[in-house]
Amino acid sequence: MADLSTQIPCDAARRVAAALLHANGGTTACLQMPPLTGDISNAGQIGVDAPGYQSLPLSPAVFRKSRVTLEEGQLPRYELLVSADAVAAQVSELQLSSAQCLFMMAAGVVIAGKLFRILAFTASETQGQAYLYRLLLQEAAGEWPM
Amino acid sequence: MQNAKDTFYITLRTRLAAVNPARNITLRSVSRPGILVQDAEAPMIRPLLDAFALSWTGLQADLQLPAILAEMTCEIQYSTAGTAANAGLDRGRALEELDYEVLKLLYPYSAQKMNYTQNPAAAMETMVFWSEPEFGPIVSERDCLSRTAKVTVFAFQDQGES
Repeated sequence: MADLSTQIPCDAARRVAAALLHANGGTTACLQMPPLTGDISNAGQIGVDAPGYQSLPLSPAVFRKSRVTLEEGQLPRYELLVSADAVAAQVSELQLSSAQCLFMMAAGVVIAGKLFRILAFTASETQGQAYLYRLLLQEAAGEWPM
Repeated sequence: MQNAKDTFYITLRTRLAAVNPARNITLRSVSRPGILVQDAEAPMIRPLLDAFALSWTGLQADLQLPAILAEMTCEIQYSTAGTAANAGLDRGRALEELDYEVLKLLYPYSAQKMNYTQNPAAAMETMVFWSEPEFGPIVSERDCLSRTAKVTVFAFQDQGES
């Protein structure tokens, strides 16, 4: 049976999430996105040309170590909590269909000059609207400064 | 050896565009035939469906010949969840289509070795040649079917080639 109860959507959850992220150290994470005009040459597909990634800032965000049992030789994993407002702004700016599309396109995330790979992502939602995105990250093996 | 790997990929990419022009992917803002070299792309959260991903694994070198003969193993991985129109119930058929395309892409089993780091690409002195594919078993994960086909690629080192 359909749920016909009245639900008035409001942005309260989004605003609360953004305020909490700000209050808990709100940092800026930069998604590494491919340029809007890609490299169509052969060299661009065989690792010769630099990809020319663009930095897309997401703020406020909170970066923390995730509670995963570590095994020997395994790189630690981290969590990035990002405000849905910040993600929505970038999705709209790039004219993408969804946040999922944005994260799938990203080659990684730079936080405090270090590159992290995106292992998974999920959205926390209320009334069918995302108010927070959670990204599971792993430190990139190449420890070059970004 | 890198020139042989590049030649193998670009040969297969060119053949795929002729065999099935509809098999396309959009990667790094470029729409291109649905084949990629894994070590030349960013790590992906999930494999791209309905596309071929090449990864280079084994390597052996025969030093007893006048020129070094490199023998490299290339794994061609592909996965499908079928089509939306058939709600994924055609995933077996979609995988069979990918299997058939692998056979078509690999034949003929050789190509002129090219240096693609130059623009325009320059032909080298030798050929790259490869074996028939060895198909691995189907791996079924949730509603997705995957398979890996192994190909052994052979190439002589040209004079002055790094």
